[in-house]
Amino acid sequence: MSYGEGNWPEPLQSVIEEFADVFDDMERYEMLYEFASECDLLSEEFWCEETRVHGCQSEAHIVCSLNDAGTFRMVGSADAQIVQGLMAIAQKAVNGLPPAEVADFPVTFTRELGLMNSLSPNRANGFLNMFTRVRQEARKLAEG
Amino acid sequence: MTLDLEAIRADFPILSRVLPSGKPLVYLDNAATTQKPRQVIKAISDYYEQNNSNVHRAVHTLAGEATAAYENGRITIADWFSINPDQLFFTSGTTEAINLAAHAWGKANLQKDDVILLTEMEHHSDLVPWQMLAEERGVELRFVPLSDDNKSLDMAALESTIDEVQLVCCIHTSNVLGVRNPIERIIELAKTRGDGGNGAAVLLDCAQAVSHDRLGFDTMGADFVAVSAHKMCGPTGVGALLVAEERIEEMTHFMGGGDMIRETWLERSDYQDAPHRFEAGTPKIAAAIGWAAAIDWLSQFDMEEISEHILGLARHTASEIGKLPGITVYGDHGEGLGSGAVSFLHDSIHAEDLAHFLDAGGFAVRTGHHCAQPLMRKLGVTATNRASFYLYNTREEADAFISHLQAVIERLG
Repeated sequence: MSYGEGNWPEPLQSVIEEFADVFDDMERYEMLYEFASECDLLSEEFWCEETRVHGCQSEAHIVCSLNDAGTFRMVGSADAQIVQGLMAIAQKAVNGLPPAEVADFPVTFTRELGLMNSLSPNRANGFLNMFTRVRQEARKLAEG
Repeated sequence: MTLDLEAIRADFPILSRVLPSGKPLVYLDNAATTQKPRQVIKAISDYYEQNNSNVHRAVHTLAGEATAAYENGRITIADWFSINPDQLFFTSGTTEAINLAAHAWGKANLQKDDVILLTEMEHHSDLVPWQMLAEERGVELRFVPLSDDNKSLDMAALESTIDEVQLVCCIHTSNVLGVRNPIERIIELAKTRGDGGNGAAVLLDCAQAVSHDRLGFDTMGADFVAVSAHKMCGPTGVGALLVAEERIEEMTHFMGGGDMIRETWLERSDYQDAPHRFEAGTPKIAAAIGWAAAIDWLSQFDMEEISEHILGLARHTASEIGKLPGITVYGDHGEGLGSGAVSFLHDSIHAEDLAHFLDAGGFAVRTGHHCAQPLMRKLGVTATNRASFYLYNTREEADAFISHLQAVIERLG
């Protein structure tokens, strides 16, 4: 299945609709902050150089794998809640999809969340780095 | 006379910006770089519109005008720092100035087992060049630790090692802690007891100090002073190494190229005298002219009054945010101490998260390790938030910042 503008997995579509009602940047960050608690967490004890996402100013770590049904699962955590909130939204976008679909998943969904305008270049680059890593790992998993 | 903040702010077009969030900008990142008055912006654009030419070797009118503006700029800047223009070497900023000192003086004068004394509160720009020299030459690096309360230098530790030191490198005013170090005492100790009583050389990183201190090189007694224009209303990309006359002869050339030679043959060159000997290549012409314009602009004020205003805002802010739940303020902001920089951290809201919530309110603060990772480790943190004030900031801005921070903590803490 090919995803793009107006055609997203249902969990992500719900998030996009929630963000559509956001009043200002304060509220947007607050929502991201709250999303952090919904993140499928990678326990800090598993943080290592291999799990680290570079390009984030804060510590951010992810691990990608296939679950029993053969679909994609990314777990992650960060010391900054806004980063972890972004991870949680990324999980809603791609977790549960076939890895081949994750490998081609467009990062443009962030525009529909209104996030790229309100995130600093560092954070945005960090997020792009994270999502690029997710897609690369998904590609490897898809190719077995 | 009190500062006319309304008139001052009217000279800074950027201060009336409204951010994409719809909030008016409150710029509190002045320790990273200060904003530029329109007089500086105009001086640079006038130069490019009317006088742009390469300097020094040409007989056409523009080249003459550009050379005069550039070299007159050097005179203006040198006057400000009370130094002979020939002792002011333009660099790209403080970092390049310290690298110039390390290469041109350090390599020529420091031998294996000589000792460079640094401090735990140095900015990376005053650490890494010396680490590189130490690695190459076998020079030993020693470090003055912080005092037990992590607010100042342990001067007893400095005194216990100063006799064995050939070079002392010290940050004048910390970009993290905001504290002004006792440089007069450090210089006195270096000169009377350093190098077994022969006197050690002293380099001061004055990147932060130039914002609010009128540094007089002629009375400081330091051998090298590194400064940046952009911390004092000037443009980025230019700074200087100020060098004591007797040290110039001890320096060898650093970068080779045009403008630093007197005559060149295929196999060798004769070099210019200072300062041009240390300024290879086309110089930072427009930036130097802009820096001189910044100094002309600053000259209308009493720097002591400016310093009092900036430190007053920092002291008030440090005191008030220190009362907020979960906030730790680093450094010392007591009477007569410090700079405009106030570093702080909340015990449960990550520094980056907090910075985003502050930005959402229009407040520009810096977040991170502030290029002082060893100091961060000493403080037991990886990053802090830092609000830093300058002459155009108002008490109302400081109070708005304090209120917004309080509101964020109440929402998230």
